[in-house]
Amino acid sequence: MSKIPVSSARDYTVELRVRRFNPEKDSAPWWGEYTLEGVSPNDTVLDLLHRVKWTMDGTLSLRRSCAHGVCGSDNMKINGANALACKMLVARLANGKNPVSIQVEPMAGLPVLKDLIVDMEPFFEHYRSVLPYFINDEPPPADGRERLQSPEDREKFDDTTKCILCAACTTSCPSFWADDRYVGPAAIVQAHRFIYDSRDQGYEERLSIMAEQFGVWKCRTIFNCTNACPRDIEVTKAIAEVKMSITTGKV
Amino acid sequence: MTTITGTPSEGVTTRIARLQARTPLERYGYLFMRLSGVALIVLAIGHMMIQHVLNDVHSLTLEFVRQQWTSWGWRTYDLFLLIFAISHGFNGLRVVLEDYIHNPRTVRFVRWFLLIFTIITIVWSAVAIATFDASIG
Repeated sequence: MSKIPVSSARDYTVELRVRRFNPEKDSAPWWGEYTLEGVSPNDTVLDLLHRVKWTMDGTLSLRRSCAHGVCGSDNMKINGANALACKMLVARLANGKNPVSIQVEPMAGLPVLKDLIVDMEPFFEHYRSVLPYFINDEPPPADGRERLQSPEDREKFDDTTKCILCAACTTSCPSFWADDRYVGPAAIVQAHRFIYDSRDQGYEERLSIMAEQFGVWKCRTIFNCTNACPRDIEVTKAIAEVKMSITTGKV
Repeated sequence: MTTITGTPSEGVTTRIARLQARTPLERYGYLFMRLSGVALIVLAIGHMMIQHVLNDVHSLTLEFVRQQWTSWGWRTYDLFLLIFAISHGFNGLRVVLEDYIHNPRTVRFVRWFLLIFTIITIVWSAVAIATFDASIG
């Protein structure tokens, strides 16, 4: 990504459009439009949403926890692409323009509960289906300390340990939009993290799950997941490695 | 939501065995698409070079085809192009349709329909390539 000019001047105006829906009152979703003056280019989209919620319309609903790009709660569709609202700076969206138009929608492919909040349960159901936990029934080493692993073996799954389960990849995937029985890129990333861990023994079962009709073969390698990932995980590459392991039987 | 039907109480080995017993259609389908895709890069680009670049499209007459098909080597080339192009194309269509068709009965119908259509198209065209009388004219 390009370098963002550093400025602390609060000289931006933002025309913010937010997709709103309250199932208790609205028959259809609508656009809430808010004009925000005196915005700093270093403000994030989450700062803007907070400003709307705290000073303009308290009924705006959204999820966020840490607000610093670690917890993965506030993934949403910003100007058409998935991103964490807390990491997306106004300067990046401004692209030299002032006033800035910013459009915020809930992530696609999951049922909207209210405003920017979606039902994450289908996503976590797929996550649980890949057995995302350490499997090793052997007793720990005699010294009672850790199961050792070489730096080379650790490197194999290093990339996929970075996942924060924000669902940016899965909800940017057209295969998932078309058929929500597909486990989706996030679940495959989680499976990858354990399949290639030399200390884990569950790889056969995980590969069998990945080889199912709604496993890795639903991936059409269009790279939306890799583009969407706020942790820069090479998701499509991880999926390709799982496909290769299923085909060759080698892990 | 998912197709995983096992329960944690069930033994891991049983679950693996049952999962592996299923037809690995998608696995072979994916491998076939990759391999036939590589074959088609060679076959289709060669075909396009001969028909449209090295020769003017206006000179593509029955006589041109007759001369080419006096050689069994070219007939074999065209036969391979036919088999890979049709099967690759229709399998691709099946994969795309199955993304959007979720009813298992409709999926089964689409699979059989496309399979039969593919076989008929290949056999019909293969007969034409194989039985063409190159001594005419």
